[in-house]
Amino acid sequence: MVSEPLREVESLPVGSVVASSRRMALSLPELRPLLQWIAPPLVALALVAIAVEVWVRVGDVSIWLMPRPSMVLENFFGEFGRYVSEGLRTLAVSLGGLALGTLAATLLAAGVAHSTLLERAILPVAIMVKVTPVVAVIPLLIVWLGYGWEPKITIAALITYFPVLINAIAGFRDVDPRMHDFFRSVDASTWEIFRHLRWPAAVPFLFAALKISVTLSLIGAVVAEFFAAGQGGLGGVIWVEQNNLRLEKVFAAVLMLTLIGITLSTAVVVAERLFSWRIDQSATST
Amino acid sequence: MSQLPPLVIKHPIEPDAEPAIRLTDVRLTYVTKDGGALEALPPTSLTIRAGEFTALVGPSGCGKTSLMRIVAGLTAATAGDVQVFGQPPKQAQRHKQLGLVFQDAALLAWRSVEDNVRLGLQLNPRQTHSSTEIDELLEIVGLSAFRRYRPAELSGGMQQRAALARALAIDPPLLLLDEPFAALDEITREQMRYELERLWSISHNPTEPPRSAVFVTHSVTEAVAIADRVLVMSPRPGRIIADIPITTPRPRRPEHEHSDRFMNDVANVRSALRAPTTPAVPLDAA
Repeated sequence: MVSEPLREVESLPVGSVVASSRRMALSLPELRPLLQWIAPPLVALALVAIAVEVWVRVGDVSIWLMPRPSMVLENFFGEFGRYVSEGLRTLAVSLGGLALGTLAATLLAAGVAHSTLLERAILPVAIMVKVTPVVAVIPLLIVWLGYGWEPKITIAALITYFPVLINAIAGFRDVDPRMHDFFRSVDASTWEIFRHLRWPAAVPFLFAALKISVTLSLIGAVVAEFFAAGQGGLGGVIWVEQNNLRLEKVFAAVLMLTLIGITLSTAVVVAERLFSWRIDQSATST
Repeated sequence: MSQLPPLVIKHPIEPDAEPAIRLTDVRLTYVTKDGGALEALPPTSLTIRAGEFTALVGPSGCGKTSLMRIVAGLTAATAGDVQVFGQPPKQAQRHKQLGLVFQDAALLAWRSVEDNVRLGLQLNPRQTHSSTEIDELLEIVGLSAFRRYRPAELSGGMQQRAALARALAIDPPLLLLDEPFAALDEITREQMRYELERLWSISHNPTEPPRSAVFVTHSVTEAVAIADRVLVMSPRPGRIIADIPITTPRPRRPEHEHSDRFMNDVANVRSALRAPTTPAVPLDAA
């Protein structure tokens, strides 16, 4: 029973091994640390699942309160197609919001890094938007943008832009003043300084921000789907099935969200290994 | 391999050519936070001839770097006239006539050695100067085998050679060197001064006047070993208090450092540095 989802999870750290060796081939010595990393959490999870299974069966806990883990898995694979298709909708909203938020934040940061006036104008507003709970403005966004994908993507973007904005500003400014002098001494244009100096300097900062934003975007997507329940997505599934008291379906949807979250985080780590000249081990906090 | 004219070694000073640098009553004053004026550079007049290698020595904070930055067009003088090859420094930047080297190599961490050396040619490309073939340049500075390495993988001396190659890639008629060897160990440092002399003296343009250089240093022996002329600056606010010609023939060799002439020049510079400043200028003013 438990062996099936384990295989699902096993697929995740393959990326990190590829990345750490920068090669596509996996040799046996490389697999060992991989197992050392993923085996312990899987064993821990399995033990928890078994404990819950025993508790629910022995204590005869009501199915309306706590579904058996075996039921959750059965439903997860029984309705796998549904969770995948709803998961893809959530993923699309999440990635759409992440793209929009990251793009907007990077453009704003590029402006702010070049102009004190823009910094004074934009930063306080950005902080105002950031401190306003996103949940509070969702009803407004739905009134304005309807029940389609637009408000959902907007919400995911609103929740993700801030870490990117702050890190990108720091990155665009993290420029060696001597290097800046050299660029000026050969009459480089502002664009050339941005393209060849500020942008590459900011790339590690952007990846640090993406590590935070990518999971935030998933939260944003699910919260938005709660409000537009019935319009699909895993958030919608959770909302509907909770009302139906089908908790095993709620758990199955959460399991799918976990898998999506792990995939997204891993994708950012792999992308960082491929595209960043400096690998940031610790993500900058917001 | 290269269709460029062969490298020629030139080092005669050309008194008839347009001077590399002509400063007339140039001064630099900073406004302090409490509204006072801080004199970084008192009125200074100075002519550096084409082909002349000038060393600038003086205690820390005496304004050597300020003087250099003014010539490079990185800091605007508060008053006075700055001419670099008969034009304002900004024009010299535009014509790619300036080769800057700093105390720290200031290389782009995300680029290979080769691409760092290419940077000056790549930025604002204007074929006003024949571009020294990069391969040849890497060969001359002894980095051919390391062309694909990242700066972080090189020793300090190699990084500084890469920075020199980058400055020379645009074949600038004026080299501005701000304590380029200050971060190196003594042994590397002593090697580098003779390499610098060699790099300074070779050019692809036999028709152009020989290259000039301004070399800021704290080391008296280094200054005497490499320069045609040593300018001694007083403590802050630094005035040029001595102008000592060095007549050791070129090319210079380490053996020259044991000659009587060399010892004598070093003694002259040392005594100029020790000379009491005029009582009107208290040492710890401002």
